[in-house]
Amino acid sequence: MISTPVAQDILKLLSKNARLPVAEVAKMLGVSATVVEATMAALEKEEVIVRYTTVINEQKMPHMKRKIWALIEVGVRPERDRGFDDIARRIAQYPNVVAHYLISGAYDFLLIVEGDSLEEISSFVSDKLASTDNVRSTSTHFIMKKYKEKGILIGEQVATERLAIMP
Amino acid sequence: MSLQLSQRVQALPPSGIRKFFDLVVGAKDIISLGVGEPDFATPWGVSAEGVYAIEHGRTSYTSNLGLLSCREAVSDYLAARFGAQYDPASEILLTIGVSEAVDIILRTLLDPGDEVILPEPTYVCYGPLVQMAGGKAVSVDTSESGFLPTAESISKVVSPRTKALILCSPSNPTGRVIPKETLSSLLALAVAEKFWIIADEVYAELVYDVAFTSMASLPGAKSQVILLNGFSKAFAMTGWRLGYLCAPHEVVAQVNKIHQYSALCAPIMSQYAAIEALKNGMKDLEIMRQSYHHRRNYVVTTFEEMGLSLHAPEGAFYCFPSIRETGLSSEEFAMRLLEEKRVAVVPGSVFGLGGEGHIRCCYAADFVLLKEALSRISAFVKTL
Repeated sequence: MISTPVAQDILKLLSKNARLPVAEVAKMLGVSATVVEATMAALEKEEVIVRYTTVINEQKMPHMKRKIWALIEVGVRPERDRGFDDIARRIAQYPNVVAHYLISGAYDFLLIVEGDSLEEISSFVSDKLASTDNVRSTSTHFIMKKYKEKGILIGEQVATERLAIMP
Repeated sequence: MSLQLSQRVQALPPSGIRKFFDLVVGAKDIISLGVGEPDFATPWGVSAEGVYAIEHGRTSYTSNLGLLSCREAVSDYLAARFGAQYDPASEILLTIGVSEAVDIILRTLLDPGDEVILPEPTYVCYGPLVQMAGGKAVSVDTSESGFLPTAESISKVVSPRTKALILCSPSNPTGRVIPKETLSSLLALAVAEKFWIIADEVYAELVYDVAFTSMASLPGAKSQVILLNGFSKAFAMTGWRLGYLCAPHEVVAQVNKIHQYSALCAPIMSQYAAIEALKNGMKDLEIMRQSYHHRRNYVVTTFEEMGLSLHAPEGAFYCFPSIRETGLSSEEFAMRLLEEKRVAVVPGSVFGLGGEGHIRCCYAADFVLLKEALSRISAFVKTL
């Protein structure tokens, strides 16, 4: 059920809008609501759908306590027989780490780290990350402004003006 | 004696949509399903190429036919996508939208009194442009055959003066797509009776669940067919005003004379943007097509739930449900829907014979607004 074209269509629709009601998904794909429900249940059970989440524009919530993010480049010394995965498992467990990638290029890992303050992230880097076994180097870049996230432009979009009636 | 205007222009019927346009313009709370264009902005990579052209001073005229590189891109695209073969050097003319192409081909083909057959309901520009070219539009009502023309119905109106048949498939306003067998039989009729077929295929990329056949790809079509297409609908480029006309080179040579005197050339920055669209825009096109497809399914099912019958549209972004059951004329329906529920649709009567009793709804609208509009239409229908 999770390898059907309908499953792929459902994933595409939900990745744009996770709150799209089952009945609407069914109508858009021209299948029954029962099929959509069963497929979604299967996708969730198989953990193809891992979680339904939300994209937030924090600039519109000036009174909300802002989070701070940093991109951290990490150079490591891979362990014999175990490569990068063991070190990664240790780093990725920290709740401050919201994304963790092994990448090609001048260093090995790229982390996206979230905290409530600059100090929280600084102490995470010095106390936890840099002192982890086999971590050779770290380089921290604080994010100053977000322009686009998860494929969505952040900020004021200009509405286009279309004529309401056209032949 | 007062100054006079042309009799021919004054004889043109005013657009049936004008009245609605005046009511809707400026009103903020109206949801419009009355548009005739994509709700997407032009893909950014395509727009950026147009901007780049301007930044680099590519702001001149081009040759009358258009940039050779753009015509080559069109030629490759038509061959790969639709199996239609046209020589970029002499058989393709870039025009200011498909609208200009319709105008200049009609002026090229018609002598006074020549007849052009229009299967209706159809797009609103053909009839008046035939008239402006000195010809006579001969309407054929297709409402009894699911809004699709048949060789039989067309043959009934063929006369010694018949010069051309205009086909719009996928159709504005009905969304119907003419099947391959019908195209073949229409072509056979055109060959036997010696008239041209003008195939407006501007919605060719927006087809759902069925295979699309281009008239120009049929064996033997080339000497008989004028293919019109453009970038507006497929690549969400309505404001760039770029279309193209493909025909045998003797025809293009004649059409080009009118084009060179009245338009000179299509906008150069649009031509550069179009090259990018054909080169790298197919992924964007597919994303947009799928989005229309989902909305089409939604809209068709919702109208069926309302009890308004319709022929499932296979293409474009319109559906054309029947409102006969309500007892209202299409104009009354559209007017009352606008006044009472603040939803704009286009009355079917403006699209010619067979359009009465229907409304055209464009589903290229934001999905949230589309849903709201449909629920308002549903509530309106219940009050009747």
